[in-house]
Amino acid sequence: MDDELFLNEQIKVVAIFGEGLNPCRPLKFKRTSGREVLVTEIGLRHPSMQGKRMLHVFDVTDGMADYRIELDAERLVWHLTREADHGI
Amino acid sequence: MEYNNEQPLIMHVDLNSAFATIEQQARPLLRGRPVAVVNRRTVHTTIVTASYEAKALGVKVGMRFIEAARLVPGLVAIESDPAKYRFVYRKLMAILNDYSSDAVMKSIDEGVVDFHHLRIHRPLIEIGYEIKRRLCDEIGVAMRCNVGIGPNRFLAKTAAGLHKPDGLDVIDATNLRAIYKTLKLTDLTGIAGAMEHRLNAVGVYTPIEFLDSSRLVLEKIVFKSICGRQWYDRLRGFEVDGQVSDTKTIGRQYVLEKRSLKHQEIMARLHNLCESVGFRLRSQNKVARGVYIYARTDNHKYWHASRMYQLPFYSDATINCLAQQLFFNAPSGIREIGMRCYVLSDNDDNQLSLFNDQLMREQQLVYAIDAINQRFGDRKIHSADTLDTGEIIKQKIPFGSTRYL
Repeated sequence: MDDELFLNEQIKVVAIFGEGLNPCRPLKFKRTSGREVLVTEIGLRHPSMQGKRMLHVFDVTDGMADYRIELDAERLVWHLTREADHGI
Repeated sequence: MEYNNEQPLIMHVDLNSAFATIEQQARPLLRGRPVAVVNRRTVHTTIVTASYEAKALGVKVGMRFIEAARLVPGLVAIESDPAKYRFVYRKLMAILNDYSSDAVMKSIDEGVVDFHHLRIHRPLIEIGYEIKRRLCDEIGVAMRCNVGIGPNRFLAKTAAGLHKPDGLDVIDATNLRAIYKTLKLTDLTGIAGAMEHRLNAVGVYTPIEFLDSSRLVLEKIVFKSICGRQWYDRLRGFEVDGQVSDTKTIGRQYVLEKRSLKHQEIMARLHNLCESVGFRLRSQNKVARGVYIYARTDNHKYWHASRMYQLPFYSDATINCLAQQLFFNAPSGIREIGMRCYVLSDNDDNQLSLFNDQLMREQQLVYAIDAINQRFGDRKIHSADTLDTGEIIKQKIPFGSTRYL
């Protein structure tokens, strides 16, 4: 139940933009600690509205933990908002 | 009466353990593991959805998480995430709309496609498998659904429940009896505890006995209403569930997070519910004339009060004022509260009033607040009374209705 961390950490993300199911694909991100996380799979990408401001929410994994990273479509900044290893 | 012999043209699509499957799709590390989706991050909360892995180990929907975790030590609890489920709901709706303009979502995780009035150049089974594939291609590889095909909505839904997860079945006049023989009464949608007892009382214990009951027995003895006739037709594959009903009530409920809350704190939570109901009412462009509130107490007592008013209302302040008046007589030891507005009508009454200036001011204020909240996000402006309740009373997924999705 308490295996999930709720964060609000601004991160640097390397992503490619193209077409298809996931037109934006985050490849890796760098946390404020300097640690790099390599994205091995995008589980789901869904939009979330904060009023009329659009956030693109990406649920991703590096194989060791699941992460939620969010792209603010108005300000074009990325945040890491959740991290969970689900007790693995 | 004969069974409906027409070609089965209704398709029912049902996501398997929807919320748990969506979480397993979003979080790859959860795939293949027992997962329970809950509404609150506390061990005393009840389980909203369990993954198939959890269900196989005995976890049931409605079970308290603490009991389920004792049963399945590795059970992972995930707090429900309505935005994610709404996204999948819209994706599924878009897929179904590609096949027929007569596609309706019955709830957040199931939709019905009616292929009558369409020229179909390939078998419905093929379309069913295509929908399954598209779900994986357009949402994710872990997504699975059941597809049922039948001559009416009831049989299509029954077919969708035959081989979970990921099944595809057809029920028509040729196999209807054989399928009923494999089912229990409570496997039929709409037959649960009380209804089962009613049927048992006249010697009906199986779906086949239900099917073989005469229309007269069902109409005059079992149901004592038109429902008997509807069941008679429904079981034989004739459509009786196609009509769309109007919104009759709009309401919300909340199980208190603590038993030791003071009366004023409970009133603040009721106020929060009133604001939420008021917003839903206005978003449907409705006004109400009645308010109903209820409370459940620790000793399982149910208390309720309601009142009808002459003039229609729609503002949060008015709804709250009326609800608080009714709540004055509520008992102590409350563990759950709820309220709803009823006698709804469309908000198109432009009749002039003696108090027009005052009403106009209220209307402008209410709609200005709604516009700000829509622009900047939920509850950016709300009553100071409910200041501490926003984080506690979160919006949850409404089961059974797709009106607010």
